[in-house]
Amino acid sequence: MVEAAKKHYTEYAIEEFLVRDEPYYRPVGDEIELFTAAYRQHIPVLLKGPTGCGKTRFVEYMAWQLGRPMATVKEQNEGKEGEVRVPLVTIACHEDLTASDLVGRYLLDANGTRWIDGPMTRAVKAGAILYLDEVVEARKDTTVLIHPLTDHRRVLPVEKTGTIIEADDRFLLCVSYNPGYQSALKDLKHSTRQRFISIEFYYPPADIETEIIERESGCTKEQADALAKLGEKIRNLEDHGLQEGASTRLLIYAGRLMAEGIQPRRAAQVAIVWTLTDDPELQRSIQEVSSSIFE
Amino acid sequence: MTSGPIPEIEIELAKLPPAVLEAYRAASDAVKESFGEDEIGLWAKEGLTIGTQTVRSWESAIEYYAVSPEVSKFLSFPSFMQWARCGTYLAQDSPTLAVAFFKSSVSIVPNLRPQYIPRWAGLGRSLYKGTWKSSTLAAKFFEVSPDLVRNLPFWDVEVFASLIEALSYKSYDVAGECLILGRDVLPGMGREREPFLAMARALIDTSWREVKTCLELVPRALQQVDESQTGRFLKLGERLAKVGLRDTSRFLADGTQALSKVPQGSQGYILDLCDALVVVTPDAVPPFLRSLDDVLNRITVSQLDTWFQHGAKLLQENPESGIAFFKIESNTSEAMLETLSSSLELDRVKGILRLYCRALSGTPLEIFDTQELVQRNIGWVDEDTASTDGSRVFLPPVVDHYNNKQDNFSWFKVVSTHQVAHLEFGSFEYQFEEPATQFEDRRHEAEQLMLERKKVERSAAQEAHELAAQLLASGAEGDVDMSLGYSDPNAPGLRNYTDIGRLLEIFEDGRLAFDIFTVLEDCRLDYRIKVEYPGIRSASSRVQSETLEKRPNITEMPLQQGMVELLIHMSLDQFQDLPVAKEYHESAEMLSSILHKLRDAEANVEDTGEATLRAYEIISRIPNQLEEEEEFEDQDLEEPGDFSEEDFQTLVDQLQAGMDASSDGDGDGESYESPDPVDYRGDFKPEMVQLMTKLQADDGEQGDAQPMTQEMLEQLLQESSELDLDAEQGEVDSDMSTFAQNIMKEAGAPPPNSQPGEGYGPLLHDDDSGGELEAREPATYVYDEWDFRANDYKPRWCIVKEKVVEEGDATFYQETLKTYSALSNHIRRQFELIMPESMRKTYRLVDGEDIDLNAALEAWTDLKMGVPPDEKIYWHRNRNRRDVAVVFLLDMSASTAEAIDEGRQMVDDRDAPDDPVEYMVWLRRRREGLVRRNYKRIIDLEKEGTTLLINALESIGDTYGIYGFSGYGRENVEFYVIKDINEAFGDKIKRRIDKITPLHATRMGAAIRHAATKLDNQEANTKIMFLISDGRPQDRGYSREGVEKEYAVHDTHMALVEARRKQIIPFCLTVDKSGHDYLKSMCGDMGYEVLADIFSLPERLPMLYRQLTTIR
Repeated sequence: MVEAAKKHYTEYAIEEFLVRDEPYYRPVGDEIELFTAAYRQHIPVLLKGPTGCGKTRFVEYMAWQLGRPMATVKEQNEGKEGEVRVPLVTIACHEDLTASDLVGRYLLDANGTRWIDGPMTRAVKAGAILYLDEVVEARKDTTVLIHPLTDHRRVLPVEKTGTIIEADDRFLLCVSYNPGYQSALKDLKHSTRQRFISIEFYYPPADIETEIIERESGCTKEQADALAKLGEKIRNLEDHGLQEGASTRLLIYAGRLMAEGIQPRRAAQVAIVWTLTDDPELQRSIQEVSSSIFE
Repeated sequence: MTSGPIPEIEIELAKLPPAVLEAYRAASDAVKESFGEDEIGLWAKEGLTIGTQTVRSWESAIEYYAVSPEVSKFLSFPSFMQWARCGTYLAQDSPTLAVAFFKSSVSIVPNLRPQYIPRWAGLGRSLYKGTWKSSTLAAKFFEVSPDLVRNLPFWDVEVFASLIEALSYKSYDVAGECLILGRDVLPGMGREREPFLAMARALIDTSWREVKTCLELVPRALQQVDESQTGRFLKLGERLAKVGLRDTSRFLADGTQALSKVPQGSQGYILDLCDALVVVTPDAVPPFLRSLDDVLNRITVSQLDTWFQHGAKLLQENPESGIAFFKIESNTSEAMLETLSSSLELDRVKGILRLYCRALSGTPLEIFDTQELVQRNIGWVDEDTASTDGSRVFLPPVVDHYNNKQDNFSWFKVVSTHQVAHLEFGSFEYQFEEPATQFEDRRHEAEQLMLERKKVERSAAQEAHELAAQLLASGAEGDVDMSLGYSDPNAPGLRNYTDIGRLLEIFEDGRLAFDIFTVLEDCRLDYRIKVEYPGIRSASSRVQSETLEKRPNITEMPLQQGMVELLIHMSLDQFQDLPVAKEYHESAEMLSSILHKLRDAEANVEDTGEATLRAYEIISRIPNQLEEEEEFEDQDLEEPGDFSEEDFQTLVDQLQAGMDASSDGDGDGESYESPDPVDYRGDFKPEMVQLMTKLQADDGEQGDAQPMTQEMLEQLLQESSELDLDAEQGEVDSDMSTFAQNIMKEAGAPPPNSQPGEGYGPLLHDDDSGGELEAREPATYVYDEWDFRANDYKPRWCIVKEKVVEEGDATFYQETLKTYSALSNHIRRQFELIMPESMRKTYRLVDGEDIDLNAALEAWTDLKMGVPPDEKIYWHRNRNRRDVAVVFLLDMSASTAEAIDEGRQMVDDRDAPDDPVEYMVWLRRRREGLVRRNYKRIIDLEKEGTTLLINALESIGDTYGIYGFSGYGRENVEFYVIKDINEAFGDKIKRRIDKITPLHATRMGAAIRHAATKLDNQEANTKIMFLISDGRPQDRGYSREGVEKEYAVHDTHMALVEARRKQIIPFCLTVDKSGHDYLKSMCGDMGYEVLADIFSLPERLPMLYRQLTTIR
């Protein structure tokens, strides 16, 4: 199993994930200044906001802006030790993510055991921005793991090896969190929360969103404008049956379909209406809004 | 061995055929067991009498002796003899009859009261008419009577027998057949036997042949027609038969067929309709029933009424065409069905439109029927036109403009988009001080002019008044109303209360100004909609052009009104070929250029205001008189050129000059009348909306300015042109004070007559005193109560009495599942998705199904490193990982009996008295007002929600309990068990759900504590308490002086906190819209939800539960 995984990953050299061009990010408020300041001051950052509003893109952009090449590493990527220094490590958290998945583990070798650093350890060593996406999804014990990294200590104790790694000066922890989910069994612990500054994200205002959609999807200005309007109207339905409004990402998808020549109404239907909900009445309502906006 | 007369009798008997004697001898021994010596003699003698009645009556005697032993077991001797004598009489008439009588006696005597025997014999006798056929029939009657008597009450047998007799006059064969049929059919009829027999009786006079067919048909009818309606159905048959309808059997067959296709609940309604028809033309009933199935395939039951009424009317005028109508053989009928089947009822699309409007406006709008708005009686009177009051959109209940549903829906959409546009594009946000974007601001100027004008008028009035006073002082007597004068010339106008009012007050002719404002604003909105929502453009253009076709002809109108109409035409996108009086070409052009300024995406409501100022200047200077048609010329106003203030001023001066010149001819102008409203745009009442909003806001603030009194409001309403308009239509008797009161209520201001503090009777605190309570009876429990003032518990303060809910009918449960079958399947599926979770693997166990590779690897690594390895290297699929126990607490307080009247705020506690006793009285009074059946109560939705939930919970196997709570006073907190937490689900519980009923008050704290105790005894990882209520906690003595409501809220809060300390997750769901006010303090950081749409309760409840207990 391990070997297969290894083989799989060796085919993708990590360098190939590097994006050296500037990612497109359209600031809405002072988030860039805030993040830069926090980065300089070594304050961990919590990004709050609904899905698809640009959190991940923002981190990518910041990683680029703060002058480092960027790569994304899936959390199971334990291949090739130390081969590449990973300046932006994105980990998509899920509920089976264990502490050793993050920190690292011993593997069997022909000669015995060999320690391999987990993505978190690597990020700490390399002085990267460590981005834990959807951190609530992670197990409680893994969230505790980040505590010593987030206060003044900035260390990562590695129990198994009996070492403590002091973080590189450039290291920063950044987590994202979607407060829209409402489950009694799921929330960020206060002891964890209070270690971050929080930057709240919401879908951008209509004019900016238009700009983003147009730029990202390549559809016409009119279409982008209409899509932004549709997004705005659909978001009005949050709390009226819709769990989350249409994300900017979805609007962009619809825009892309339009740019490919799909009829606007149809594009909105497949990219937005049907994606958002399975409730027939809600679907019909959104459909009606869409058919009012698009010819 | 024998004594007395017996030997003699034997001798006599011997004279008859020998079989008689044999029969006698065979029976005599057996009879001895029942009779005494003397009695035997009489018995034997009676046999002889029978035998000697006629030549052939010896046969009867044989039968008599044969059955005697058996019969004697059931009858006392006198009754026995009575019976025997009945036989004797029958034998006199016909021995066959007597034989049949005796034969059937064996099986009939045990079931028939002795005193009925002669009557029964009489029934048989009455069928005998001396002919051979009649004796066969009578004998047959005796044959079947054991079955009849066993299964029917005796009087029904009598009725049936008389029916048969009546039939026998017509035909013995039919009567015989019916007799047999009746034996088979009648017993199964139950309650319907009586109406059926009555119907059959009625048939005999008119068409007796039908009886048999009816008998054959009736079992099927009874099966297919709803039990509660069969009686009526048959009665209807009877009535039809009585009025001489020929083919009643056909009616039965068709009726059964038709009714069986109708939804069960509506069968009564159909019968109502039939009853109505019987009165008019009975012949129309069968065609109606025959067509029914076809008709209902095309239209709904609720639409049926319209179709039916039309038919009924026709029927009265001309029975022939009426019947053709009901046979759907007339064009009218067909056309009507066509329209109806394509018409769209608001109820069907309400949900979609609501979400649509909410999406567009971004506010939680509600959609209502226009009738609701009228009922509210706050100044809106038109039942058919759409409108909005800022938080609700009112739409007509049915649309049937087009002959297909899709187009009708588009119409709804166009109309609601227009209404929402008022909100979205700010019609109601007019601010006097806000600058316009397209025009120079001239309203301040105009206002000054107006004030000066008024001042002049006022001083003139003042002078006149003083003059009058002088005259008065100089000697005249009597009361002169001195208050007529204008008291304070410097007080700000009342209408300045709203910005729109302030604008409209500028104008001398308020109505004209308001009409212009309305047209221009609607024009602005329609243009804006077309820009913002290109998708609706075609539908809305279609509606516009159709509206245009219906507009009156400008050339036939007085000039001034014609100009307003011209504006309307232009606002409806007609710019070409507009007839304009030659004299006013320039004016029309100017108006067009003003209007064009509003056809701009940037134009706002303030621009409309400015445009109104200008358009008014022009139109008000045009005389309102008729002009010859030749004077008109079609004009093209598509491109009037840019608006310029100078040109405008010149034009106004010109007009003014013209007006001054002809001022002597003032008399020929007609008084101005408002144009016909534009249907799809509905009622526009910006001033009212602003007024209500302002009143509400002021109410919340208890503001700086003096509050609006009812008198002020009345005066304001009188001045407003919005109401003026409607009064014109003659429907409002300018009952301003009613309006004002209702508006106040709507706005949430206290109603004028209720004084705060009133009704806080002494009852409230009387059991504040008194001490601890003791739970003496079984199934009662004592709990503390939290007193937040004292910051301490009141020890042993409440007694909770646990009771099991009575069992009702399980059909409620099944019906609910049936009604919500789609939803319930959906929920079940959603719940089953949780299932795989419980099948998840648990790793790192000492033993299990297989080796955990990760753990094994680690162990091996540890070994190699010389570290003691972990021995937990197995994984296991854990079946019971989902370990949830939940308790549902249903509010069974009296207020859950509230009908959910969509028109009102559901639990409108605003004007409810706070004292529970008064509250009950108040509630009852309110409930009495709701005579209309068919409404749903909150509790019904609670019950439905529970049903769906149970159904879903059973699929995932969580431990759950369902309880209701209510009570009255602290010593009587009722805690109803619907399903105890450890109880298994079954029919019993289904039946209990049916009996969940609204009871008394709500002392939540104690109920929560009791439920928490129950949960605490459970062993589960996750424990959840789900509280469903319809309002704030409330009970007798559940308060403290001065802090009425807080006390209950705090205690409830504390009870929830206690629950949480027991590792229970509490969640409160309320349908009380004002719930946000107190839920925050009641639940603190615990979960709660206020359900905006109460009808979503059955759906939301299981969903919430799922969300709450699922690990995402």
